[in-house]
Parts: sequence; C-alpha cells; structure tokens
Amino acid sequence: MASCPHCGAELETPLGCGACLSPLEVETSVDPFALFGLTPSFSIDGEELRTRHLKYSRWIHPDYFAADPELRALAEINTGLLNGALESLEEPLRRADHLLKVRGGPSESEVKDMPQAFLMEVLEWSEVLDEARAAEAGTPPREAAFKLKPSLDEERTARIQTITGLLEPLPESGSEALTTARRELNAVRYLDRALRELESLRLAEAEAR
Amino acid sequence: MGYIELNVLNNQSSLAMGIDLGTTNSLAAVWRDGRPVILHPEGKSGSVPSVVHFPADGSQPKVGREGRDHAAAAPERTLFSVKRLMGRPAADVQGELARIPFPTSEGDDGVLRLNIDGREFTPQELSALILNRVHDHGCRALNDEKPDRVVITVPAYFDDAQRQATRDAARFAGLDVLRIVNEPTAACLAYGLDQEKSGNVVVYDFGGGTFDVSVLSIADGVFKVLSTAGDTHLGGDDFDAALVGLIVEGLAGELSEEELKDPGFLTAARLSAERCKHALSKDPQAELHMVLAARGVTFHRTVTRAEFEALIEPLIERTIDSCRRALSDAGLAPDEVNEVVMVGGSTRVPAVNAAVESFFGRIPHTELNPDEVVALGAAVQAHILIGGSRDMLLLDVIPLSLGLETVGGAVSKLVMRNSTIPCSVTEGFTTYADNQTGIDFHVVQGEREMVSDCRTLAKFQLKGIPPMPAGMARVAVRFHVDADGLLTVSAREESTGASTRVEVEPMSGLSDEEVERMLLSSVEHAEEDFAVRRAADLITEIGTMRTATERSLDGVREHLDRETLEDIEEALKAAEEATSADAERLQALRDELERATLPLAALLMDDVAKAALSGKRLEDV
Repeated sequence: MASCPHCGAELETPLGCGACLSPLEVETSVDPFALFGLTPSFSIDGEELRTRHLKYSRWIHPDYFAADPELRALAEINTGLLNGALESLEEPLRRADHLLKVRGGPSESEVKDMPQAFLMEVLEWSEVLDEARAAEAGTPPREAAFKLKPSLDEERTARIQTITGLLEPLPESGSEALTTARRELNAVRYLDRALRELESLRLAEAEAR
Repeated sequence: MGYIELNVLNNQSSLAMGIDLGTTNSLAAVWRDGRPVILHPEGKSGSVPSVVHFPADGSQPKVGREGRDHAAAAPERTLFSVKRLMGRPAADVQGELARIPFPTSEGDDGVLRLNIDGREFTPQELSALILNRVHDHGCRALNDEKPDRVVITVPAYFDDAQRQATRDAARFAGLDVLRIVNEPTAACLAYGLDQEKSGNVVVYDFGGGTFDVSVLSIADGVFKVLSTAGDTHLGGDDFDAALVGLIVEGLAGELSEEELKDPGFLTAARLSAERCKHALSKDPQAELHMVLAARGVTFHRTVTRAEFEALIEPLIERTIDSCRRALSDAGLAPDEVNEVVMVGGSTRVPAVNAAVESFFGRIPHTELNPDEVVALGAAVQAHILIGGSRDMLLLDVIPLSLGLETVGGAVSKLVMRNSTIPCSVTEGFTTYADNQTGIDFHVVQGEREMVSDCRTLAKFQLKGIPPMPAGMARVAVRFHVDADGLLTVSAREESTGASTRVEVEPMSGLSDEEVERMLLSSVEHAEEDFAVRRAADLITEIGTMRTATERSLDGVREHLDRETLEDIEEALKAAEEATSADAERLQALRDELERATLPLAALLMDDVAKAALSGKRLEDV
C-alpha cells in the first residue's frame, strides 16, 4: 500500500489522504476499483462501496478547498474521478460492463447473436408493450403489460446470477466466458429497456388517475 | 512583499454571501454568530423584487422595490421574471416573449437580446442588475462590508446553458461565484441545521417561475441528493396567468384583440391577478380588480377559492407527476420518505399544501419562511466554502443526462441524470472510415433517445488523427461535470504518441470573449451614460445662470464698468450655444459665465446689503 507524500500515512485510496485531508495527484486512467481501494471483482458489498464514497468525499471534496485554487482544481478532478467510479461500480450491469471492457471482452455491439428463443420472448413483450402504450389508462392492454413485470424481474435476477457465475472469479482475457457474459449482459439490457418502459407506463397510469 | 500580501488579505471580506436569485424576488443571507441570517437593512425587508424598470427619460434603470413601484404606472417599461429567459433560445420562450414590452431578437450566439431604447441587453445583463441590487441591499445590512464572494442558487432542474447564463450574470455584476447551488438542496441544508437529522427528505420547491423536487438522504452531516426532477417553466407566475385569463375573457368585448395582447396591459393585469392570488391564500374569496384609466375601462369580479383551485389544479398535478418521477429515480416509495420540506412562495397556496400532504401521506414542514429558506441554505454553503466548517457536506447531482450523438442520430449517454457531481467519465470512440483524420462530436443534454429531442450543448471536431485503417484510432472522450453542474468536454487520440486535445465549453450561450467584450462595453456605457447625465445637468445649470444674469443685469447695468459689461455679454452669447455641446465644452462655458459674472454678483450682494441697511424692501433693489 502506498503512503501519503505529505504526511507519510498509509493511503486507502490514491485520490487523497485521510490523515492530512489532502487530495493527491493521480493518473486519470486508474481503475475505478483501485480508486475505491478494492480489488476488481463482480461481487462487491454495495453498502461498503457507498460508505467509502462518503468517507473519501469528506476527505477530498472541492468544497473544502475553495480558498486554494490549485488544491481546489485537484480536488475537483479527484472527486470527479471518485464519482465517475461510483457510477461504473454501483450498479451491477455497469460493473459487469466495466469488467468485460478491462478484461478485453467483446463490446455490446460485437455480440449480436442472441438465442432464437430469447428473441421470440422479446418480440412477445414488445407486442404487449406496444399495445399498452397505444391504449388508455386502466384498460386491459395496460393490465396485461403490468402483469409482465414479475416474470421480467425474475428473469433479470436469474441472468444477473448467471453473469455472477461467469465473472466470479474473473475469467482470463480472451476466454469464452467473457463472450457468454456479454451475451447475458445484452439480454439484461433488453429486459431493462422493457422494465423502463413499464415504469414510464406506471407513472403515466398514476398521472391519469 | 509581505506588506502587499497583508493588504490583499485585509481587503477581502471574511464573509461570503448566499444569494437566492429568484424569478419574482431575490434575497441575500450570510453566516453570522453560528447561524445563517437574512440580510436586511434596518427596518426594511430583505426581499428585493426581481424587477427592472427603464424610465422613459432614459435615466438609469430602477431595480428592485423601486422598479416595482414604477411597474403599475408604466408597465410598458418594466421587466418581470427575467430568470425565465436565462439561457434559453428565443424559440423555447415564445410564451414568455409575448409579455416582454420591448422588441427582442436572437444573436448569432443563440442568446436572446432585448432592445431597450436602442441598446441591446441580454437576460444575463438584466439579471446582473438584479444581482447588483440584492448584493448592495445586503451590504447595507453589513455596515457596508462588501463580501464579493457569493454562492448563487439556481433551480435544480436548470440545464447547462441556464447555469452558464447565471454564472455570466454574476460576472457582469462583478461578483466572484464560489458555487452555483441547487435551490432545493440549499433549502434542505437550512432545514437540516437545527436537528441531527438522518433519513430521506423530499424538498418540494415551488417558486415564482420554477418547480423543483429533490430527494435527499441525510446521514452524519452528509446531504446526498438521490434524485431531482422538475420544470423550469412552472411556477406561481402560471397561477397569475390563470387569473389573467379571467380578466382577458371578461374584457374581450370592450378591448380589441390587439389591446388584450399589449404587454403593458398584460403586466397590469398580472399585478391585479397577483394581488387576488395572495388574498385567496387567506380568504375563501377575493376581488379581481383592474382599472385601465387611459381607456376608461374597469374590470371587477369576485373569485372564490374553489374556482381558483379548479383553474390551477392541472398545474399542481404536474408538480405531483414530478414528485412521482423523482421518487422512482431515487428508488423510494412515498412512505419511505421521512420528511417533506416546503420551499417557495407558491407553497403558501392551500391547495398546493393539501396536494403534497395527500401524496406523501404526511404533514409537510413549513417552519422556516418558504421565501427565505433557500437564501439561508446558500449562506450555509458559502460558510462551508470559505472554510468555516467541515461538519457538513453537500453532494449534489446533475439533473439531466449528458451524451454524444452516435450513428443514426441516436444518443449515447456518458453521464446519467442524478449522477453525483463533480463527475468525470471517459468513453472510447474510433474512426469508421479508412484514413479518417477528424471526428465530429455533437454534445447533447436530455433524457430522450434521439439527438433531435435533446438540447445541443456543443459541436466540435477532433482533428489531426493520423491516417490509419478504420477502427484503429483510439479516441478517448472525457466529460467532466464540475461542482456547479457545468460540463467541459475534451477528446484525445491515444493510439499514437502524438495526441490531440480539444477543450470545449458549451456553446449555447455567451462565449468567454463575448462576456469580456460585453463587460468592457458596459463599463464604456457606464462612462457614456455618466457623460450624458453630466451634460444634461450642465445645460440646466447654464440656463438658470443665464436667466438670473439677464434679469439682474438690467437693474444694475449703469453700475458696471464697460469692460465687465462686455465680458458678461460675451459669456452670455457663448452660453447660448449650450444646447448640444459635449460635457467638457459645457463645463468650460459654465465656468466662463461664472467668472464673467463675478463682479455682477459682488455688486448685487453689495446692493442687497445697501438696500437692507437703508430699509428698502428687497424687491425694490
């Protein structure tokens, strides 16, 4: 573990020192996990991540360095990196996406071959959702769409579990598991698009009432 | 050297001011004796109406209460709700422009211009006048201590261009902006002071021109915004507009279509509507009353609260829709909210309060004055920023997603809405054609999937990519949203040693150069204005001197020697041309006249003395 160039204290994060409360120069390409003092892994403790985020924010937030332009600029950059890292790690889907990228796995658009059965499933929801969107609030097509939600949620959980299995422990660069994981991830994106659509229908339904 | 440094320190006020730059009213506060206090000069309210009046005689604009006092008599020369125009292209604010009593146009930079007596003003410059007024007002309460460092609040739902415009307004006003803070977040900070609160708090901020709702989680002094939603064109002004509708309807027979659209008429109607709205917050019914003296037309009608509530119900419902969205984004159900805080003048309307209470199933907090709480919170944040406290920390979010145009006009989002700021995100792009040496980037803000449905922030090209096969170039695009919620984009080609770098400031608004130029020209104008005023004063003074001299000369002509007489007559003749000369020439003419008439004055003084001594009445002299 590195130590603080100012006070010598051991560093929890390369972004700054908790002992002398100063932001430190850091490469902008440092991995989000490293910024949080964590080893890259798909399974993480979300509560721990958020706790560290608040703790580090209190050390290096630009609000505390407004009087010194140089420190302020550094604090601004580092807090930007910290918050950007939180965005990539907090949500499982984005975390998986990040891990696939750093392991050299295929990108979202490079894996287009989704299983036939899954595509049929997608077509079915789309039809239900299309009808619901065209229908008035409180009508049967809307009800039918809302009935989709539990099964979509269930399928999402199952696929995230599959992804966890594939990424835990982290596969080697270039391994087949990365491609399979990307395919699963793409499936979850389809699911999320449908779930988002359902949420906006739910809000529209509440607005109509 | 040490001496100079000490001086610099001494000149800087140890205070920093929090300013709530509101649509209808603005307010300043500072941190004093361990708490934030509203600044108001002895015996006066702290609130400064966000109104600018341009007197017909071309003299200096009247801002604040003074401006508002002139509004009723001269609505056609008075500007309200300038904030609604900030950072918006003309096409987005057609409805607002209808009530602006001055001609408007749009500059090549996409920024609105108001043509007032032949001079162009941007909304930024008009806002600067209000900022200056509220700052001065606050300074008077500080025994003329002048804290130039300020925190200014904006609606949480303000986009990049609107924030940029606010920052430019502060620059025009000569203020040093420590931070732009979201209004609901500031309000939460003010509320969270007293109690050691923790839990989920919803701030419902319904002001004069904007609506915001923010969901925060508070723990150990960290105020973290989870989500925000709102409408930058929904406020108490719209309640007034609903009542103005009644007046327009009622006068349709008496006034022509054109007269009913006249901005002056609309402003007068708005003021009547506002009075009626305020009364309806207290009484079950109120009078909507308006007299158009010039046209000999009177409008009078009683409005019941139920009638008013029916008119504004759809507007209130829109705020509840935003609450629903904010909760959905925060991943909370209404019953997971521990506190609801009410902010903004429009929350005084009983129907608003009732709708919020029924949606969240709890009585909202109204302990702090809803008009003051934002300014108080801004003062707390200002105090933190000048190093006064490490006990608290505000973690705010960006209200709208930021992205880049990709193939087919779709948006690839880089920073999602409700991301904690400051926030840095880097994304990789590549070339799609062989030997492509440049990539065009189109930066947008908004939630929609297609670029055409989002707001363009900037367009730029990364040049100098070395020729290579398609897909080989590695371009890193970096979005940095700073703590004020403002975006900077940079792009760099990384596959070769030689990297190119482009820094882009959002272009929808005034460029830095433009701000500089306008700052300079406003200083020049200030000098020009001063010279014009001075010339006018001199012309009046010379006129008075001439009349007085000519009148007294006749009575005492025989007592003056010929040389003096010729001298005076020459100076009088020269003074006749004192109608349109410049201030310097006028000053010379005036001085010459004064010099030449000195013997006359002495003689008169003497004569007066003699008359007094000899018992003559003064008039006989």
